[in-house]
Amino acid sequence: MTRLTIRAHGKTHTGNVREANEDSLLMDPKLGLYGVLDGMGGHSAGDVASQRARDAIHEYVAARHQSMAPRDLLTAALNAASAAVHSEAKRRRDRQGMGTTAVVCLVIDDKHVVIAHVGDSRAYMLRDRRLHQLTEDHTVVAELIANGAISAEEALHHPYKSVLSRNLGAKPATKVDLTEVTLQPGERIMLCSDGLNGYASAEAVEQIVAGSEDAEQSTVDLIEIALRGGGGDNVSVVVLEAGKQVVPRSTLIIQTTGADAWWRRRSLFMGACRERGLARSPICAVLSPEEALEIVAGNLCEAIYHDLEQNSGINVWTYAENLAKGWFDQGGDFRPLRDMLDLLGSAAAAVIADIASGGQQFSVALEISITRSLTTIEMVVGGLLAERLRGIEAALVKLHARAPTQQPVTDHPTIPYMQAVSIEAPAPNVAACIDQAIPLALVSVQDQGEKAGARECLEYAANSSFDATHGNDAVLAARELFGMRALEEAGIGPLLDAADQARRAHIEALNQLDHPAKVRAGAVRLVALAHKRLFLAISQLVVDAGAPISDELHRASERTSQLRQQVAQGERKLAKMEKKFVTLVDREPTDISGTSRHK
Amino acid sequence: MVLRDEVLDTADLGDPDPPGAEIFDAVVRALVAYNETIPGLDLTLHDAITRRLAWGDEESVVLADASTVCDRLIASAQRAFREPADEMLVTELAAEVSCSAARIVAMAAVGRAARERAARLREELGQRRLNEALERQKAEAKRLEISAADFGRTLEGF
Repeated sequence: MTRLTIRAHGKTHTGNVREANEDSLLMDPKLGLYGVLDGMGGHSAGDVASQRARDAIHEYVAARHQSMAPRDLLTAALNAASAAVHSEAKRRRDRQGMGTTAVVCLVIDDKHVVIAHVGDSRAYMLRDRRLHQLTEDHTVVAELIANGAISAEEALHHPYKSVLSRNLGAKPATKVDLTEVTLQPGERIMLCSDGLNGYASAEAVEQIVAGSEDAEQSTVDLIEIALRGGGGDNVSVVVLEAGKQVVPRSTLIIQTTGADAWWRRRSLFMGACRERGLARSPICAVLSPEEALEIVAGNLCEAIYHDLEQNSGINVWTYAENLAKGWFDQGGDFRPLRDMLDLLGSAAAAVIADIASGGQQFSVALEISITRSLTTIEMVVGGLLAERLRGIEAALVKLHARAPTQQPVTDHPTIPYMQAVSIEAPAPNVAACIDQAIPLALVSVQDQGEKAGARECLEYAANSSFDATHGNDAVLAARELFGMRALEEAGIGPLLDAADQARRAHIEALNQLDHPAKVRAGAVRLVALAHKRLFLAISQLVVDAGAPISDELHRASERTSQLRQQVAQGERKLAKMEKKFVTLVDREPTDISGTSRHK
Repeated sequence: MVLRDEVLDTADLGDPDPPGAEIFDAVVRALVAYNETIPGLDLTLHDAITRRLAWGDEESVVLADASTVCDRLIASAQRAFREPADEMLVTELAAEVSCSAARIVAMAAVGRAARERAARLREELGQRRLNEALERQKAEAKRLEISAADFGRTLEGF
């Protein structure tokens, strides 16, 4: 087989929490075979599983790589590994249930590689400085998402999110997923166990793989960032690089002379930060001025220096994460952080200006590198803000679901979609008609047994009909009519009946008058509108009167919820106290007679 | 139906049943039934408004829709009808229906207030019980502290 010029480096680490490393690396440049395996199983069975599988895959490929097609070769090799692990698990009781994931890459010709995987160890490809995931995890949750049973958001908190649906060793044979990739010079393939993607953000990983000068440095940085992210699992990484990447001369200069020039101006940077008032920032409130400079400015200066030296971004990334996360976790606002970042950027610009004024030829390249570092800080802060927003959104959704008086969503557009119409002032003959109708209407209302408020409604309507502007007069009249009524049917019903009666009586009176039909029509129009305004104002007042009751209910519900939480907390504390008390009693030494020595 | 498009802007909105349509349709029903029946509660209008309130439309919005539809219908009738008698009839019924709609909204608000009052009383009863539970917890914790003191030790404060 003709192979690309591939340089590959792999690194594995136990992590900060685990006692043993159950990951295994597979690296055979002669065969062009590389892989990461992540074992699982109690009593050190995990490392046995991953090593057994690694050896089985290597043995199989080495024996048959010239006689089998690459895809079939890898499929058969992984199945052989699965059989080997399965057999070993059956042979010893303490290894029952052991298994391993595997992601294996085989270089097949001058452009192609094929990747086979089982489990949740992953393969990525770096192309155009973007990292693309090539494999899909074989987990229960991933399959539920693929089937549409749950959403990606639900998967984040699913109780089975770490449970594999496929691994090597559970059965003698298993389904292997294959991916074929065409590589261009300079592109990279990364194989990793879940100890990386579980403890390092996707942005940080992409930054490191894209930004590192060579594959070896990137594996070092990737392990480092996983450890800094908690390192709760074994972490293994293999990075393959296709072809030789030409390192620009400017990069080499920056790594040596540029980094040196930056570091020699450390005191200038610290002085610039002091002048700009770094110590006065709320973020530095608990530090003395000297401590603030040393910790905040000094650490950034050092982080930038190391990143320049290594052509990496990891140090500034870690610095920014510690600064911003620490501040946000204390409940700090974005504004002081923003001001501090601007301050540090301005101080860095002062240093760059000093370097440029010395006529150094690399100052432009150095400025770009330092600007990149500052941009890294912005990316980290942006990522943290996005995480906070996601948290707030999730809390709001929970709160909304629990709120006793939740506002449902309306799904129709409504007011003010319709245009209002203007009402003209009455012509003299219409006004005269309205004037004459009032006494008739009053008589009619009295004849029907004047209901409380009917007379007032008539008087309002009569006065309002003459006023084309009719501002808030309906609301005022409604308030007077509403008075101190109880918000009950017995209190509101009679008022609405009175308003109805007044309107009907008024219109009937107009119809009885001996005026031209057109004049009466004009009068009816104005009077009807006036009564309608008054009636709606009364209804609105009734609605508004209910608002305080809703508020009281909402407050009462909140108070009940708080009390429930207090009771629940109290139960937990009480349980702890009882447990401690029982422990005290059990430990109390007794003398021969069996009585306790306590008072 | 020509007036319907004009009053409710159905052509512009592209929605055959925009909000406020229930008022207009109730006026049409009232016109059809005029002099054939005693005006009373229009159950279709009642259901439509109750449904809007249940779906989350605020009362003030429903009232504003009723008011605007009434105004526009009266203005359209003034322009459209040749006979003043026809115009007066439509005007009268438009006002009648708008006020009926407003009454439905008002009585729904009254009903909601009654339910919320009852719910608040239930919450207060629940709070009383929870407060009693808290008191019992405090007493129990105190008892454990006293017992632990007999052993010359203290437990974590409650």
